[in-house]
Amino acid sequence: MRGPDVQWYVVLSAILFSTGAIGVMLRRSPLIILLSVEIMLNSANLLLIAFSRLHGREDGQIFAISVMAVAASEVVVGLGLIVALGRRHVDLDVDKLRTLRG
Amino acid sequence: MKAAAWICLLLPLASTILITLAGTRISRRVAGYVSTLTTMGSFAAAVVAFVQMVGESPEHRGHLTTSWTWLAAGPYHFGFTLLTDQLSMVMMLIVAGVGSLIVAYSVGYMDGEDEERRYFAYMSLFVFSMLLLVQSGNLLLLLAGWGMVGLSSYLLIGYHQDRPSAVAAAKKAFVMNAFGDATMALALFLLIQQSGRLDYAGVFAASPHGGTIANLIALGLLGGAVAKSAQIPLHTWLPDAMEGPTPVSALIHAATMVTAGVYLIVRTHPLFENAYVIEDLAAGLGAATLLMAGLIALVQTDIKRVIAYSTMSQIGYMFVGAGLGAYPNAMFHLMTHAFFKALLFLAAGLAIHAVVGEQDIRKLAGIGKLMPFTKVVFLIGSLALVGIFPFAGFFSKDSILAAALDRGWFGVTIFAIGQVGAFLTGLYAFRLFFIVFTGEPSAFAREHFHSHHGKEGPLSMVWTVGALAVLSCIGGFLQFAPFWHPLSTWLDPIERPLAEPATWQEWLASGIAITAGLAGIFVAWTIYAAKRVKAPRAVPLFERKFYWDELYDVLFYRSAEVLTRGLYAFVERPLIGGSISAVSGALGLGSRELSAAQNGLVRSYALALASGLAILTVVFLAAR
Amino acid sequence: MANFLVWVVWVVAAFASLASALAVVSFSNPFYSALSLIGNLASLAVLFLLLSGEFVAAGQVLVYGGAVMVMFLFVIAYLGDKTEESPWSGGPSWQVVGAVLAGGAILAEVIVVVGLKAGNFLSSPQPIGRSFGTPAALGRLFLTDHLLAFEVTSIVLLVAAVGGVVLGAHARPVDEPSPESHART
Repeated sequence: MRGPDVQWYVVLSAILFSTGAIGVMLRRSPLIILLSVEIMLNSANLLLIAFSRLHGREDGQIFAISVMAVAASEVVVGLGLIVALGRRHVDLDVDKLRTLRG
Repeated sequence: MKAAAWICLLLPLASTILITLAGTRISRRVAGYVSTLTTMGSFAAAVVAFVQMVGESPEHRGHLTTSWTWLAAGPYHFGFTLLTDQLSMVMMLIVAGVGSLIVAYSVGYMDGEDEERRYFAYMSLFVFSMLLLVQSGNLLLLLAGWGMVGLSSYLLIGYHQDRPSAVAAAKKAFVMNAFGDATMALALFLLIQQSGRLDYAGVFAASPHGGTIANLIALGLLGGAVAKSAQIPLHTWLPDAMEGPTPVSALIHAATMVTAGVYLIVRTHPLFENAYVIEDLAAGLGAATLLMAGLIALVQTDIKRVIAYSTMSQIGYMFVGAGLGAYPNAMFHLMTHAFFKALLFLAAGLAIHAVVGEQDIRKLAGIGKLMPFTKVVFLIGSLALVGIFPFAGFFSKDSILAAALDRGWFGVTIFAIGQVGAFLTGLYAFRLFFIVFTGEPSAFAREHFHSHHGKEGPLSMVWTVGALAVLSCIGGFLQFAPFWHPLSTWLDPIERPLAEPATWQEWLASGIAITAGLAGIFVAWTIYAAKRVKAPRAVPLFERKFYWDELYDVLFYRSAEVLTRGLYAFVERPLIGGSISAVSGALGLGSRELSAAQNGLVRSYALALASGLAILTVVFLAAR
Repeated sequence: MANFLVWVVWVVAAFASLASALAVVSFSNPFYSALSLIGNLASLAVLFLLLSGEFVAAGQVLVYGGAVMVMFLFVIAYLGDKTEESPWSGGPSWQVVGAVLAGGAILAEVIVVVGLKAGNFLSSPQPIGRSFGTPAALGRLFLTDHLLAFEVTSIVLLVAAVGGVVLGAHARPVDEPSPESHART
């Protein structure tokens, strides 16, 4: 079965990636930012799988699995931070969390 | 004989080192005796060397001894070489002889000073340096002695450290001498370029005959001689140098150091003969100086300054002699001048010492009545200075003028100037004598005069002055040109003179000179002793020393000041200071602007990341 | 016929992923955003299946959807209602414009880059066998060619676990911030 060529997957992945990027840049809640980062990671995974299919080798899929594992770890740490913030009753707004300024 | 020459040189050095190292462990008197005895020992060694040299044949009298290789750099080797020949022998005897008399005099004169030990260490250092200068076997060692003599002069002029005028005078002397040192060094560079060596024989053989290089070399050496001997245009330091103690003025600024310039010209005369323009320049400068100094001496009111200008004038005569090629005549005048000028200074020192250090002749007027011995020796010195037979100056000065007649119209001009100078010499010398040593003592003198246990001065001062007076009387008879001239014969193998006056020229010169001198004495007597004619008002031109000091002030000091101020205002502050503050300002501004990017907002950091990624991708694509 | 079906599935899945991605970044309620992300993950899993990545698709649903998203939902529930007004506001005025521009630039660039570099190559996928994308094949690769990646990933997971424990530990009473830490800024 044929189905769309890889170009279509490239375009889709690109749109998903930009959407995630815009979400990171424009949302104020750290939770949503984390979710946007997940979108970006997933778009990259999609591209990896597509090209793995193009080359007929599974290395891309290996890569994608590793990416998934790393994304999971990152979410753990990120959520842990957010929970710690929430416990201290800090406003969950990245515009207010700016002590690391120069 | 070599041993004698080395002993002569090194004894004063040993004295300096000894006095310096002993410091306060020896008394002041002892320091004076050490210095005096070593200088006398030096003279004795010089006499021994002289006797030995007399015994040798005239062609073999030059002895070079090298103790070690002083400077070895690539193809250039300079040894610590002493040259003991007829010319250096003459200088050694003068320096050590007159020097020992003056150092002995200092023991009495400086008694009671705070820092006598320092004084005697410096005096011994000076004697050593001067002997090094005259005994050096190559020009490099001569330059070393030259510089050390300048150093000793600086140290001794500024001996009274608490007097700002003395310190300033010492600096002035040193700086002007440094100028001469620089021109000499340049001449030495040229010589090395020409011949690769600096010993006299090599240099004389390799120097070019005429041409720009030869002129430059001679000019450089002349610059050094002019600075050291206080001739125009580097003469302004000598009157100020009178700030030093009187024996210093006698030894350094009358008898020996200022004559080093004459010695240099005579020693390196082949180089000057290769550049006869410069030789004529030397004679011309000497003539101009003797005239100018004579005029200035007419209006001076400080006893030491009159004698200082007299020194300048007499050295002008020596320069005339050396510049015309009459080398033995110049050396003879150097010798007699050492005698009577030192005598004049030391006799003046007797008077100064007796009247609480006062040097103004108006205040010292009439002191001769209270100090008869001083009056007599001063008279002897003055007569010798004017050149009256049978005193020393007569024989030496006139022979120089006679040699001038041998040189065409240039020589005749110089002859005329020299005779005018003789008139002036008589005038100013006896103006001084009549004012200070004749007539009634002034109120000041009467009030402040104190004798030294009934005598006019301590024994050490009196006997040395007496010895110099004797020398001034008989010293001239060493050479009476038409009849006997042992000095010329002695110097002949190395210093073949260019000008040998005929007998009639000698008589003519002497006749006119004596007449001029007596005329000067008569005018002085009329004005100052018999007081028949009122003294004319002092001409401002003479009083302001022909405005040389003012000229140098404007030329060098003020222009340097303007230059530094201008540089500071226009270069240092705006450019250098400004650039530094601009850099720091820019850094501050830049960092302030950049720190605005660190606003702590995560979202803007994310935006920066994304934008950077976008831009870099384009860059990498384009640079593919 | 089969090709047509594949295309239809692809279009549906693609649209679903795009719509859910937009929903994630647009909702003001984080709960809805998280649920939209689950939808995004599911549509991507379908796309993986279309690309013969069965194991990866299964892993996506199980790990991502089953574990990561569940964690997200737990945290959102724990934190309570954090609905924010006007999610797109705040920050410097050029933020929105700049973000859209940057995002658009990245989009264009990815397409251009990959299009330029790959060109015709993208239209000819290699033939694959039946064992493509099976767990056995992936497992073999993990334990031979990519052993290092395998081990390092496990370490990363360990680190994340430790980090999570540390971050989630019971908060000790927060002391007054000491004067030095303030002065140092």
